[in-house]
Amino acid sequence: MPIVFACAASHAPGMTAWTEAAPKKQADNFLENYRKLGLRLAGSKPDVIVALTVEHWANFFLNHMPAFCIGRADHYDGPIEEWLRIPKARVPGDAMLAAQLLEATLESGFDPTFSDELLFDHATFLPLHFLNPEMAVPVVPVIFNALTPPMPAPNRCFAFGQFIGKFLQKTPQRIAVIATGGLSHWPGEAKHGKINIPFDQQFLENLVKCDYAKLTAYSHEEIYREAGSGGHEIRTWIALAGTVEGWKAELVAYEPVVPWATGCGLVAFEQ
Amino acid sequence: MSLYQLQKLIYHVNRDAAQRERYREDPAAFIKNYELTDAETRAALDVDVRTLYRMGVHSLLLRPFTLLHKLSNEDYAKALRDLE
Repeated sequence: MPIVFACAASHAPGMTAWTEAAPKKQADNFLENYRKLGLRLAGSKPDVIVALTVEHWANFFLNHMPAFCIGRADHYDGPIEEWLRIPKARVPGDAMLAAQLLEATLESGFDPTFSDELLFDHATFLPLHFLNPEMAVPVVPVIFNALTPPMPAPNRCFAFGQFIGKFLQKTPQRIAVIATGGLSHWPGEAKHGKINIPFDQQFLENLVKCDYAKLTAYSHEEIYREAGSGGHEIRTWIALAGTVEGWKAELVAYEPVVPWATGCGLVAFEQ
Repeated sequence: MSLYQLQKLIYHVNRDAAQRERYREDPAAFIKNYELTDAETRAALDVDVRTLYRMGVHSLLLRPFTLLHKLSNEDYAKALRDLE
């Protein structure tokens, strides 16, 4: 069975750590839709979730920062943050699928690193909290460096995502693919709280219109200037657009939530 | 200036529960494991947000580190006021 579910979602830690700081209407709309996406994911009965996620200094430091890393562990512990208000849990992995994906990528012109031990922080754990609340479906994390430059170029992320999609379509398992991060935000910076709504809306429009030319034309400089250091995480969304190329994208929710300091988006994809 | 070492210290405290425990037991002793300047040592010990930020500590190291010290969003923003 191929890919049975795909969505992209923001992961601002305020969603759980200081939920009530947000205007109630915004918080309710966003988080209810997040949970509904979790029900859709469960309804697709996936065997595995492949998470296109980002590094946040949970695993890698400046002594070794991979552009892409595939997690090949049997399980992942998280969240590392005591203050996230999400209970700690051990999420099962799928080491075999991860190993197959890794080998296929290395034979096909992509050179990710791999890791048999990774911790999850809010980047992966918060989306799983809403989309896989029992933490029962095994996860294969694919970590992108959207944290510290130089980072993989957006068009390269798209191509990597395309390859992952082609590989997953041939697996016997039912696969859910999630992308996490973005949209515009300046986390922890002096500009913390700024949100570039026009940028977010244009990016979402490009996704919904399947405008792959525009999605792959984003440059590092443009993203940094318009969407902030946190905006770099849209690389995972661009990759997912490649993974499910040709699928229809549906904007499920967009809320620019100032107390969460993030343009928060949810997009679901359907074949 | 040893920003690499300063960030490494915060990285270890943020991500690793066992190291965080050792840090909490005796921050001054823990910080001595890193090659910091006197100014960096002082900023780290005081959790001096503004100085750490101006020294170039990455915001996704600094904000989680200050959350471990229960610094509110308002006080964090206040500490960075008028900075670029």
